[in-house]
Amino acid sequence: MRMRKEIPLVNLVLKNAKFWNGNSFEPRGEIRLDAQNGFVAGSNKFETKEIDCKGALVMPALFGLGLDFMEPLRDDVYTFADGFDAMHRGGFYGGLYESAANPIDDADTLSAMNHRLDSQASNRFDIKFLGAFSKGFGSDSLAEMVELADGEDSERGGVVGFGDGNAAIPHSRFLRLAMEYGKMTGKRFFFQPMDKTLRKSGCVHEGAYSDMLGMKGIPRIAETIAAYTVLETARFLNVPVHFKQVTCGETLELVRNARKQGMDVTCDVNLYHLLLDDSCLELLDSAYHMLPPIRSAEDRDALWAGIVDGTVDAVSVNHTPVLRQDTEVNFEDSVPGALSLEIALPAIWKELSARVGEARAVDLLSTAPAKLVGASVAFDESANKVANLVVLDPNKPHKVVEADFAGHVCNSPLLGKELPSSIVGSYISGVWTEG
Amino acid sequence: MSALEIKHLFGLQGVSKHDIRMILDNAKQFREILERPVKKVPSLRGMTIVNLFFENSTRTRTSFELAEKRLSADTVNFTSGNSSVKKGETLVDTLRNIESMKIDIVVVRHKGTGVPKFLADNSKAIIVNAGDGAHEHPTQALLDMLTIEEKLGTLEGKNVTIIGDIRHSRVARSNLWGMTTMGAHVTLCGPSTLVPRNTSLMDHVTWEPDVKKAVKDADAIIALRLQKERMDDALLPSMREYRNTFGITNELLEYAKDKVLIMHPGPINRGVELDSEIADGEHSVILDQVTNGVAVRMAVLFLLAGGRANENA
Repeated sequence: MRMRKEIPLVNLVLKNAKFWNGNSFEPRGEIRLDAQNGFVAGSNKFETKEIDCKGALVMPALFGLGLDFMEPLRDDVYTFADGFDAMHRGGFYGGLYESAANPIDDADTLSAMNHRLDSQASNRFDIKFLGAFSKGFGSDSLAEMVELADGEDSERGGVVGFGDGNAAIPHSRFLRLAMEYGKMTGKRFFFQPMDKTLRKSGCVHEGAYSDMLGMKGIPRIAETIAAYTVLETARFLNVPVHFKQVTCGETLELVRNARKQGMDVTCDVNLYHLLLDDSCLELLDSAYHMLPPIRSAEDRDALWAGIVDGTVDAVSVNHTPVLRQDTEVNFEDSVPGALSLEIALPAIWKELSARVGEARAVDLLSTAPAKLVGASVAFDESANKVANLVVLDPNKPHKVVEADFAGHVCNSPLLGKELPSSIVGSYISGVWTEG
Repeated sequence: MSALEIKHLFGLQGVSKHDIRMILDNAKQFREILERPVKKVPSLRGMTIVNLFFENSTRTRTSFELAEKRLSADTVNFTSGNSSVKKGETLVDTLRNIESMKIDIVVVRHKGTGVPKFLADNSKAIIVNAGDGAHEHPTQALLDMLTIEEKLGTLEGKNVTIIGDIRHSRVARSNLWGMTTMGAHVTLCGPSTLVPRNTSLMDHVTWEPDVKKAVKDADAIIALRLQKERMDDALLPSMREYRNTFGITNELLEYAKDKVLIMHPGPINRGVELDSEIADGEHSVILDQVTNGVAVRMAVLFLLAGGRANENA
């Protein structure tokens, strides 16, 4: 593993920065940060490190929706240590963890995951767990949702909601029963809507490029029909729901209509679905293999419109490590997914802030996703607690190289591409890591 | 005569008129050689070609193998059935192992779209696509074009109608790119569950759902093979209905030109996409396609290897 230069627990002096004051970035000659007390000066024995930010932005660290570091079942692919390293590199102080490799579907599994997480020396992050609502994801047996939500034996508490990864719902009756049972917990249900019969063996967006290349497509209606089924069931049972990685305007329209009718519905959009469209398929590069698929330019525009009008609550990362050998095959046989934690902020910041303003951009990447799962905010200038922040030079381009990624995987369509911004460093729980 | 602009043959989308013209002209010369008592030329002597077939194939592999032998290349056949691919070896590892054996050209067929390009990105060998998924089958389209030129003199201004399972057909995709580049007008016709769902391909061709109208002005009709599994996948109700609606029959040909060419990439489902009396009848040029297949593949291999046919013929 390629670890970055990491200086454990330092007090920090940031000079010549533009600091996020909660509404905008304001120039500040000096920001002093205590490793343990944040903006409130304390007394400790730690060294003080001085950083000249040269006009870079100092903003709240990010909260990532869609983390899965594969451990323990696939620790040959990735580990918690790799994931935490990736989070620190990318300026993330916390995230919603949903384990596809090890579905958290009973109290023992939750306990084991909590124990494993807490035993990591590098764990200084605010990790929230999403529990499964079915045993093993995608089955028609209920997971132990009440005990999962309770989480009595952990300081972290229980799961913050329920989701079955990207597994399809086996049938509508089970969806009803899962929501009906899970409603007792008061938790939100998370769905990546995808009708399995309409998807079948599709691996790309069904559209102009799938036709041209003769590749099996996944139509938009695979998403919208599943989303509609979820919404109708949630309406019937009065259960709050969240749609993960929405890919098209039609689903956003369903969300808008549901909200107009008073339903508690939230949604996020994946970083890569905002950055890319299916013209990338022409490259026939498995790095662009995502599930749900990258859709057309028209869909991407619709997602941006949803960001601008407030329909989309958060930009998600869906950090998915894939072994090199699983990408060294043709597109259709490759394993879908991409790494994103290390590069999300420099990749999206400029366009996002240009489209919606800096305040909303910070909200979409940090405050809103944290609020969605009940996590604490990255920092509070007036509070006597740890400050988590990331320093971004918005105008310094950065070419993505393999060494940017933690662990021994580097699956990202942005590998080799130039990002418009670069991370100077991030300060998470008193630990500074340079970008 | 200048060299080909392409370094590999992945497909015909984006291949220039210059390159297609060059391949067809060379193929015509090789076609003449194939009529001679001694059919072998020394053009690729000393070169080694591997036929890397991850999908079952008899016709295409045999045609390539024959073309390679006619050019005096050393050939090796590698099929997934007898390879370590079945033991979990990745595509890259397979290629690197083969490449270590100092292979010059790889002819590849695979179920996955883009495998030829993937191999080219990871290898120094010249790659020739012998069919990748439903994407492209460029040498089939080239032999179709050669056959039409041979019979009609030119492709420019000719009407070519392709009937059948367009959606899943690599032959149709290669043909529409190649033939439109060479000035032909392509019409596609087939059941609505077996044609492309989006309009991207339609920008280049005409879509005609009525088979009688589709054949009316055609100078050549290409019937595509109908896979029987389409019935299991609820894409079609029955072979019988398909034959009665889209099959090439004597009755349908009453709506076509008197001298229309009937073509098929083979193998034929007789009595489904093509009636036997049509397949064996006066309009059929199907066996000419097979012969031209060897000539076209000789031309492709020869030109990609950097030679000139007339120097060695």
